[in-house]
Amino acid sequence: MSSLATGVSVAFAVSVAGWKSESNSGSVLRTRRHDAFVTQSVLQRIADGDQSAVQDCLKSYGGLVWSLARRMLRNQDDAEDAVQEIFLDVWKNASRFDPAQASETTFVAMIARRRLIDKIRHTQRRISADSIEDVLAEPSTRDDKVMQTNVEAREAAKAMDQLRPEQRQVLQLSIVHGLSHQEIADSTGMPLGTVKTHARRGIIQVRELLGLGEITGVKEVSV
Amino acid sequence: MSENMDDKLRDLLCDQAVFGLTNEEARQLKELSDGAEMDAQSYELAAAAIALAETKIEPMPAGLEAKLLRAAEEHFGASKEEIHESIHDQPTQTFQWKEPKPSRSFFDWFGWAAAAVASIVLMVTFFYYQDRLSKLEDRLAKATATPTPAPSLAEQRDRLMAEATDLTRAEWAGGPYEPTKGVTGEVVWSDAKQQGYMTFRGLPVNDANLEAYQLWIFEEPQLEALPKDGGVFNVTAKGEVIIPIDAKLRTISPKAFAITIEKPGGVMQSKRERLAALAPVKPSET
Repeated sequence: MSSLATGVSVAFAVSVAGWKSESNSGSVLRTRRHDAFVTQSVLQRIADGDQSAVQDCLKSYGGLVWSLARRMLRNQDDAEDAVQEIFLDVWKNASRFDPAQASETTFVAMIARRRLIDKIRHTQRRISADSIEDVLAEPSTRDDKVMQTNVEAREAAKAMDQLRPEQRQVLQLSIVHGLSHQEIADSTGMPLGTVKTHARRGIIQVRELLGLGEITGVKEVSV
Repeated sequence: MSENMDDKLRDLLCDQAVFGLTNEEARQLKELSDGAEMDAQSYELAAAAIALAETKIEPMPAGLEAKLLRAAEEHFGASKEEIHESIHDQPTQTFQWKEPKPSRSFFDWFGWAAAAVASIVLMVTFFYYQDRLSKLEDRLAKATATPTPAPSLAEQRDRLMAEATDLTRAEWAGGPYEPTKGVTGEVVWSDAKQQGYMTFRGLPVNDANLEAYQLWIFEEPQLEALPKDGGVFNVTAKGEVIIPIDAKLRTISPKAFAITIEKPGGVMQSKRERLAALAPVKPSET
């Protein structure tokens, strides 16, 4: 009975979110174009081979890339190596940036995450019990400056607020702290399959609320 | 593509964006996505937006910036050489030199040249004095500015209480742990600002070398087993103390707050052996 009630409430929540995403997506896209118009110049200048744009790029995104690396890799030396590799990736991929799809900041964060995920998987890192204790011992609250300047970050925060607490927790541990599904299962006591389900349902909902993907039908998955 | 394959493809795209894929999974994704109409990058962009929303940005170490600038020089140096070579690979065009025909007299040229020199002198003078004026204004502004003292914790708490329209409030009561039975006080929290402050009266001074107080935030009744870490703190003075909440993860609609005594630095999961204080949020206070 209780699982049925949960199922109904989840279905309701998802369908409500679906309705909201239609109205949200328009505003996100409109604002995103404006955001891109204001900030796109750095990557375009780099794509054009303008070396003076590098300093602007580091000034704009150095802190962001460093913070993502530091939190996901949890090791100063690894983070420093990763930041250098990420900026090389950013410079090489600068011409691929499409302002109609996302803001420059989100594009840089995406390139950074690709490299960081690759590094975590490549090194087959296994977090020790002590490290997991450390995971939650560092501040990871949202950054007011980023929230003010990046429309997608603001919309993503709103979308996260609409997720179920378990989905939000799994996405925070995986995306912000770089924990694998097995590590999340071990540290929270959730079954592995449930961790994956929460992550998938959460990211699908955030993607839709950001207006990045099609609105999918409500499909109940038991967790 | 069948519905099952569609679902599988979507699962792989989600996993790629959130956790990354194994080699085998990457192979499957490549196979399934071949010809499929799905915006693969949109899942990664959604994950990147979450990372932006949830990450506190810290400045990059200065030494690292210098390394990056050197790496950029190497990268762009190489790129420039490539560009240079590609330009020089272009077939060269030949032009036939023609003797220029004099079209104006000496006095015509002299008149134009004098006008140009006068314009340049005028512009340089204008920009020179404008620059000096703005520097002078900057210096005056700096000289007259008075340093503003940083607001105290009490002022910060009061400002939050005055400004936040979504304030959650709860009152502290001492826990079962004998030395903290007489604790009173209040906790305030704003979801929108992700800020909160705890005010305690009667919370004993702790020996920071041996133990620390740790805040736990309960968001939902069903998550009682998994409260969020609200930060570790020490009490160094008797009487009323104000502690800012240092929530490690974004917190929405907390239902209760609890203080335990743990080892220095805190723990990830508390055994709740020494429960120092509790503050359940009454339904009308959320």
